[in-house]
Amino acid sequence: MIQKLSAWFEERMGWKPIWTALALRNIPKVNWLYTLGSATLLVTVNQILTGILLTIYYVPSPQDAYNSVAFITNEITAGWLIRGLHHWGASAMVVLAGLHMLRVVFHGAYKFPREITWFTGLGLLAVTMAFGFTGYLLPWDQKAYWATTVGTRMLEVTPVIGDWLLRIARGGEELSAVTLTRFYGTHVWVLPSVLLLLLGIHLFLVVRVGISAPPTPKETDEKPKVWFE
Amino acid sequence: MKREERSKYLEEYAEDKKKGIPFFPDAVFKDVLVALIVLIILIGLAYFAGAPLEERANPSDSDYTPRPEWYFLWLFQLLKYFPGNLEFVGVILLPALGFAILFAMPYLDRTKLRHFRNRSWVMASTGVAVVAMGFLTVQSIRETPAPADVSGTINAAVLFTENCSVCHGTSIDVPTGINLHETIAGGHEGMPAFAATLSTDEIDALAGFLVSPQGGAIFTANCAACHDSSDLAAATPFQLQDALNQGTAYAPHDGLDIPDWSEVLFGQDRTALLNFLLAPDGQRLYTLYCSECHGTSISWEGERDELEALIRQGGNHLEMTQWRDVLPEDQITELALFVVEPSTAPGGEQLFAQHCSSCHGVRVPSAPDIETAYNIIADGAEHRSMPVWGDVLTEEQLTALTTYTLEASRGTPVIVGQQLFGQLCSSCHGDFGEGGPNPADPIRIIPPISTASYLETRDDATLRAIISKGQSDQGMSPFLESEGGPLTEDEVNAVVAFLRSWESDPPVDLPPDLARGPVAGGSVQVYAAFCAQCHGADGAGGPDLVGPSLTSAEFQDSFTDEQLHEAIDLGHAATSMIAWGEVLTADQIQGLVDHIRSLGGRGTLQTIVYERDIAPIFQASCAGCHGSSGGWDASTMESVIGSGSSGPAVVAGDPDGSHLVQRLRGEGNLMPPAGALPDNQLDLIVQWIAGGATAEVTTGDAQSGGGDIGDYTWTKDVQPILQASCAACHGSSGGWYAGTYSSTINSGDSGPAVVPGNADDSSMIQRLLGNGNLMPPGAPLSEEQIAVLIYWVNSGAKE
Repeated sequence: MIQKLSAWFEERMGWKPIWTALALRNIPKVNWLYTLGSATLLVTVNQILTGILLTIYYVPSPQDAYNSVAFITNEITAGWLIRGLHHWGASAMVVLAGLHMLRVVFHGAYKFPREITWFTGLGLLAVTMAFGFTGYLLPWDQKAYWATTVGTRMLEVTPVIGDWLLRIARGGEELSAVTLTRFYGTHVWVLPSVLLLLLGIHLFLVVRVGISAPPTPKETDEKPKVWFE
Repeated sequence: MKREERSKYLEEYAEDKKKGIPFFPDAVFKDVLVALIVLIILIGLAYFAGAPLEERANPSDSDYTPRPEWYFLWLFQLLKYFPGNLEFVGVILLPALGFAILFAMPYLDRTKLRHFRNRSWVMASTGVAVVAMGFLTVQSIRETPAPADVSGTINAAVLFTENCSVCHGTSIDVPTGINLHETIAGGHEGMPAFAATLSTDEIDALAGFLVSPQGGAIFTANCAACHDSSDLAAATPFQLQDALNQGTAYAPHDGLDIPDWSEVLFGQDRTALLNFLLAPDGQRLYTLYCSECHGTSISWEGERDELEALIRQGGNHLEMTQWRDVLPEDQITELALFVVEPSTAPGGEQLFAQHCSSCHGVRVPSAPDIETAYNIIADGAEHRSMPVWGDVLTEEQLTALTTYTLEASRGTPVIVGQQLFGQLCSSCHGDFGEGGPNPADPIRIIPPISTASYLETRDDATLRAIISKGQSDQGMSPFLESEGGPLTEDEVNAVVAFLRSWESDPPVDLPPDLARGPVAGGSVQVYAAFCAQCHGADGAGGPDLVGPSLTSAEFQDSFTDEQLHEAIDLGHAATSMIAWGEVLTADQIQGLVDHIRSLGGRGTLQTIVYERDIAPIFQASCAGCHGSSGGWDASTMESVIGSGSSGPAVVAGDPDGSHLVQRLRGEGNLMPPAGALPDNQLDLIVQWIAGGATAEVTTGDAQSGGGDIGDYTWTKDVQPILQASCAACHGSSGGWYAGTYSSTINSGDSGPAVVPGNADDSSMIQRLLGNGNLMPPGAPLSEEQIAVLIYWVNSGAKE
């Protein structure tokens, strides 16, 4: 039955070669540290899904932002779960991405032929930090407001263009409704677009070039003994 | 990597792959397992820790200690090590450099070797970076107090780290003779004013910390185990002196296992400690040590040296005359009234200047109520010897105290400040400093500035700085001349003195903090507790009250119950009426509506006395320019009515036809040029003119049958409005015709436009209110105009 069904799809979509290339390819023997990347990916998917759900009720204006977040948290069925997953997912994403990067440094995996994978990975880390910064303001509570006041003020110390940067980030001299909509737009449209583009390249290269094998010490062919294997 | 190395790597990798495992299902199994664990942890965190949501953002609460999300803390901490111009190194340069290095990794680490044992320098520098970031994060958490812990004790070192070290580095050399407190509060050469962000106690603690860092060290080493620095700062100077001089003999220290302070701390150390505990800040020293006997200020006309010697030596006896023996009772009462509320006692100013200011200076001492003030004045004050301050205070403190006393003795009268406040401040802060919606941004509420707690936590330098420089982030513009505002330095001081006069006698019992939630009580109690403050106990309003009369027929007829309900629930933007819905339940609001209706049902008679009610308005707002120098003269009732450059300014009985009213309403150049009079004052003037503009006028609503104020007629009141706003379209071309009295009432496409006595059924009124198509299209009449028309209809639509 399943075979019939798969044959039916195969005739119409020709997906077998893609499945073979993606899933049935061989990869070098790897250890548990190699799951950090996929865990980051999982949290990213979690952020996208919960984020989409949050936009259904969230209103990006100073009058309504706080109330809408409180409404999501306290009134909506499982709203606390959606917001909780998004909130903690943000921290988890930073942690996992950071650990993933340390694993890559540890294994020297940024070397030939995976330089582009490394560059896009760094881009993804920067995007993740930007997500964290812009998302922090959206609940419009005390912590959000003042942390962003201080955070955007840091831009001001840039020589020459500091004032200009500050005005761009805040949409004026002070933190205001404009700041909130700018952060919202950035968080919900700009950053996800960049993220998906970089992530696409990153994952394509992971399949195309392949993940690095755990390296061996110099001039010996024996595999290293590593405690975590 | 060389070309052969590259191809060799690719060959080896192909080999590894061949010997490896299939991605599906072997690797996928591990990934799914880890993903599942991560997901469970996340759900657990969401369930047990939840996503925090603090109080709604409050831009005026600058006491809040901001903290970024935890993964930015290391950057936040890094900032503190790069003061002043170097700040951008910490914020921009280092992080950018870090990122650049990461990007360059494949080119910095160029060998073919990948195992960590062969790449020791990469491992080492990565390790250092990770440890450094971890350390900075931990440091930041330790140094920044959690928001909840901010209240209560003041830690000067923490204040310094948070506010000063970014620019000043780890310490500041303070030149001698600088009033540090004022510098911190008011800012200096590019340094921001901290008056708005720090309380007076905090500024003082900071000043002590800066003037005397060694004092801080001595305190920490010797006293901090038992004492909080703010406790000791609040102790009397004699207690401090005794504790230091008597050593173990000092009673509270008896039996404690501590050194003999008289042997351990002396000379410079002692001075340093005292300067640390109580920064050389004149006003604070005066308030703590002198004001108990001397009131808010003393008069001094001699030289500085003499004053300093007097304070240093002390020993003089204070004796305030028993004025009961000297002055008649009515004069004492007048003085007591003047002391409590200068504006209620016009004769008090002269009496004060004659009898009191030779000792009290120009700043009027304040008292909580008239009885207390009366008793103090009548009984005089007991004999007391002035302490020998030279023994108690440090040199620095003595100098600061002398300087402040000299300044204060030259101060400006409170009454000037009161007038300035009325003209410039009350439109935003309310007549009594009670605050209200921020005109610059109606979603924000201006908090009250007249509460005891507000004034106690801000000293004169702080208030002066706020008034002079404004608070740009809250829409308050600078008021000092040199900052582009209208006031001279003396005038700013006068406003400060006026604010200060509120401290012992806050003028308004303010509503409880809105965040506290619902209050209990029926409509009568609620009305008495909250509404009566602005609308009067009987709801009739009054010349001194902020709110309009709720009992007038005009008010009662202009609003439906629903509109009243909504106004109470949601407040009125741009007035002091706040949204009570956050404090009162819907039932309570409904009760209030009923109560207000019952207040209105009584009908009221009001007597307007020119000297009492009208003259003060002209005096305060007009007489400054309109003296006897030609043109309109605001000084007497006769001149108010009869003078004027284009004929008499007042036509008795016809406010709309009076030049005065027209100008006050802004027809022609608006008077006063600084901004229209408050509505209640304007109403009072209008009613006075309508009632005949005599020394005493009686007004009242139509039901009670008194006065002229109810007499709206078509010819006098309605026709001008219709002529201006309707006649252009509603001429003779059919439909409703606004040209004559009878056509105004009887014409109309769907029957008569006006039903005399019933505004609700009059289609003209309904269209003006926007029920159906709004008329005039796109340009509704003003509320006053509509109110006139409604009143005209309800009172029978007379010709």
